Amino acid sequence: MSQSFDKLLDVRGLNCPMPLVDTRKEIGKLQPGQVLKVMATDRGSVADFQSWAKIAKNVELVAQETETVDGATVYVHYVKRTA
Amino acid sequence: MMEGLTETTWTTGDLLERLERGERFFILDVRNRDEFGRFRIEGREPLPAVNVPYFEMLELGGKDEMVDSVVAYLEQHMANQLPHTLPILSVCAKGDTSEYVSQGLYRLGYASASLKGGMKAWGLHYATRAVVETPTLAVYQVSRPARGCLSYVVASAGKAVVIDPLRHLHPYLDLARSKGLTIERVIDTHGHADHISGGPALAAQTGASYHLHPYDAIHPIDVLPATVAFEPIRDGQIFAVGQHQLEVLHIPGHTLGLVALRLGDRCLFTGDSIFVRSIARPDLGGKAETWAPLHGRSLRKLLELPGRMIVLPGHFASLAEADDKGIFAASLDDLKQRNDGLLVLQGENEDGFVHYLLESLPRFIPEYVDIKRVNAGLLAADDDAASILETGKNVCALSQAYKDSSGETT
Repeated sequence: MSQSFDKLLDVRGLNCPMPLVDTRKEIGKLQPGQVLKVMATDRGSVADFQSWAKIAKNVELVAQETETVDGATVYVHYVKRTA
Repeated sequence: MMEGLTETTWTTGDLLERLERGERFFILDVRNRDEFGRFRIEGREPLPAVNVPYFEMLELGGKDEMVDSVVAYLEQHMANQLPHTLPILSVCAKGDTSEYVSQGLYRLGYASASLKGGMKAWGLHYATRAVVETPTLAVYQVSRPARGCLSYVVASAGKAVVIDPLRHLHPYLDLARSKGLTIERVIDTHGHADHISGGPALAAQTGASYHLHPYDAIHPIDVLPATVAFEPIRDGQIFAVGQHQLEVLHIPGHTLGLVALRLGDRCLFTGDSIFVRSIARPDLGGKAETWAPLHGRSLRKLLELPGRMIVLPGHFASLAEADDKGIFAASLDDLKQRNDGLLVLQGENEDGFVHYLLESLPRFIPEYVDIKRVNAGLLAADDDAASILETGKNVCALSQAYKDSSGETT
């Protein structure tokens, strides 16, 4: 998959709730329409990002995928600032 | 009991002690709603609990930092819902987020604690209790309290038999080491549906033999033979344990190959037949109508055993079933007077009892088909997959067993 993005946030190795805390901060710095790629190793982030995106204002979860980096599973979330 | 305005961490061992004492506290569970729905902390009586996913606190609290968001959220949305008269235990999946929530509660003046390791650690907590401990005989009950699973170690003269070992082997290996026991045999009373057996792995690791009734070496729904290596056991077989003996009683019903193990006139390891409050369901093989009459006949056979025998079951549905030492056991005579299923059994003929069984079936758990496959060696599951299959409390008893403990019927 080749989802385009404007900025990369690497939260690999960080435990819940930091992937979402850091994602919210970074989203605030984007322009509307821009996409943040978040790389996380916390598997719980998959369900949490889905549920969070449903209630968060001006945010859309564009795609989710898994990658294998250096033998470790990485959970990737593409988050768009919509307004 | 209040501990003052402290912000502390409870280990899963602390939690179990408080639950066993029937202590009152309030649970603020910040996992997502699906996870809360599948698996929650349950006490002897229902505990007050509320589920607010942490990302809702973060988003609706609206601050950059987690603790600030928690404080803002609680002030705006929950000020009237949290008690100042009880400790509040914050709970999350792995024990990190709940620390932030607990700090937020502390900042607001609540008596606040966080569960160390979260629900993952609680699901993996094991407790070992001595049921019998004499110079020539010991019986230990090894429980996994969050799942309601029970297993046993019978020891005599330095030798041990392990009955229905659960997935993690450390409780049995630690006990054997500390008591100087050689594990000679591992016996599964049946092919389990609700949890992954530690039997084959424990046998391989200790050099013990692994025993299973051959009827349970065929997956009942796939109708395929198990690939795990086992020694077949039969009705009436005797296993020596040091100076004592275990006798096999074939009691089909919950599964076709279910056996109970009788330790003289002292203990009866009933597997999934008689529990403390209830009895086992007969439908997990997909043949409820066919197996229910067998189940009734097997239970009647067990009721003919000496009434002073202590029943040691394979499960519990509520911590309220434990005695004052935290042990899930009762004499057969006692259970004839108060076990829901045995009371019906004693008052009904075969048709009436079968009708009762079929009317009392809880929901079928789809994961149980796969767990039986794993136990038969027909499906592989790594640690992550096994943990997902084993999420939450067992549902091996008839439905009335689940009515009180969570406040909901399964």
